[in-house]
Amino acid sequence: MVFRSSLTAVALMTALLTSVGGAWAFDDAQYPNLKGQWVRARAPAGVTGQGPFDPDKSWGRGQQAPLTAEYQKALEASLKDQGEGGQGGWQGGRCLAVGMPGMMTLFRPMEIIVLPEVTYIRIDHIRDSRRRVFTDGRDWPKDVQPSYDGYSIGRWLDTQRKGSFDTLEIETRYFKGPRSFEPSGMLLHEDNETIVKERMYLDGSNPDLLHNDLTVIDHALTRPWTVAKKYQREKAKFPIWPEDMCVEGSGLVYIGDDMYFLSADGDLMPSKKGQPAPDLTYFKPANKQTRK
Amino acid sequence: MLGRSLMAAGMLTAALTMSCDAARAFDESKYPDLKGQWVRARVPGVVGQPSYDPNHNQGKPQNPPLKPKYQAIWDASLKDQDAGGQGGDPTYGCLAPGMPRIMVPYGDMEIVVTPETTHILLEHIHDSRRIYTDGRTWPKDADSIDPTFSGYSIGKWSDTTGSGRYDTLEVETRYFKGPRAMDATGIPLSEDNQSVFKEKIHWDKNKPDELTDEITTFDNAFTQPWTVLKKYERRKEAQPVWFEEVCTEGNQHIGIGNEVYYLSGDGKLMPAKPGQAPPDLRYFKPSQK
Repeated sequence: MVFRSSLTAVALMTALLTSVGGAWAFDDAQYPNLKGQWVRARAPAGVTGQGPFDPDKSWGRGQQAPLTAEYQKALEASLKDQGEGGQGGWQGGRCLAVGMPGMMTLFRPMEIIVLPEVTYIRIDHIRDSRRRVFTDGRDWPKDVQPSYDGYSIGRWLDTQRKGSFDTLEIETRYFKGPRSFEPSGMLLHEDNETIVKERMYLDGSNPDLLHNDLTVIDHALTRPWTVAKKYQREKAKFPIWPEDMCVEGSGLVYIGDDMYFLSADGDLMPSKKGQPAPDLTYFKPANKQTRK
Repeated sequence: MLGRSLMAAGMLTAALTMSCDAARAFDESKYPDLKGQWVRARVPGVVGQPSYDPNHNQGKPQNPPLKPKYQAIWDASLKDQDAGGQGGDPTYGCLAPGMPRIMVPYGDMEIVVTPETTHILLEHIHDSRRIYTDGRTWPKDADSIDPTFSGYSIGKWSDTTGSGRYDTLEVETRYFKGPRAMDATGIPLSEDNQSVFKEKIHWDKNKPDELTDEITTFDNAFTQPWTVLKKYERRKEAQPVWFEEVCTEGNQHIGIGNEVYYLSGDGKLMPAKPGQAPPDLRYFKPSQK
């Protein structure tokens, strides 16, 4: 009788748990609370430049990036061009996607949406980028369309053995270019064979501080380059999500490889001293009476 | 003995169920299953580029209820496009289409449902949306909201069939910036950007791979509200491919002042229309010309 009633109890529990399991597809208590708006943490005192890739060092040469000689030379050329009024190797001036790993500097706020199969990372900078970090156990696909953001596979870990996940490990591959680490125009290799490895986890003592230990493996580098990015959660209950429309009022016009400014009255202007005007070969002589 | 074991089983079950309830902050089964990749449904007989009202061809057959002033703007846009221009379509230079045009949709759509927000992710120019379903009301101070092309959306889920599962998301969207047009022909919205859009995004469990969006536009360019019914279909792939579209990459349109030119294959400026004059180069020194 005891045996039979135990069996009944077990069957009942199994039935209940099965039905609960069927309905309860997502237990978000198993995941860290990453809701809200994240911005990059304030740089340490003395760090200069716009959005340096290693947030603890000033941008450009100050990064002391382990660049190969060829890519160090490219960085110098980019800095020189920027010094003369150009954009150097930075694609943001053309409103092209920053892509990985530069986008994780957070030039604009970030939202992280955790679902069992995918973690979405939304960052509205230049384009409304959304990284999809697949956590559904998939393997690398055989055929992937290269992209600026890359293809990301992630794995949640319970490193503290507390019965819930605390760390998201991500690997990202399959890129297109050009991409640069930061606005100084520090380029990634043109072969686009970059691999980015990330470990994202909340700070042990501050739940509003998110760490992203990010390692870049790229042929522009002499060795893997690891930086420790930190993001701060904003306190607003209903944060404002800005729409960053890069092309709106950018004031820059690219014709071929040349960049020009657009004047307040809508006319082309040189961006550098002595810059030639654009070639008007394709306008018929009769049409070359320019607009006034 | 039976009583005691049943009691024990009952207590255990209760404890397990309680712990499940406490942990279960997001009961997905209450929401429709919108996972996967959605694309606009084809309408038999409708041809050409995607139209705003998907049930009619693009252009005049749309028959939007425009006021005379805006009808004239649209006519001018169609005429300019016939001549090779871009007319009233602001997206040629990779400006966001904004609401309601983003819901055409041009690219693949993903709908990510969480209790607080439904995210509509669209791979096109700059089209993604957040629909807040956290019970917030419209802010008292309208100035606290930055106008955007996609607007500010508040939604409410409802269970219209009493099945115990939400099937309809009602959305209202306000607070816009412009310029925006309803479609690629340049059907205009009013420049005052006071548009209001009301949507009913509906999922029928008997047709799980179809989704409808009834959108009503209230705008000062129109003589009356304009309602259209859009349909989306879910692709069957278990792991759909999400293409990344970067509009500025390889965009051949160059806007200088009020003129739009083409970029030739060899990177030079070209006229977009017969007889178009080149840009004014007065800011270049004579030796630079």
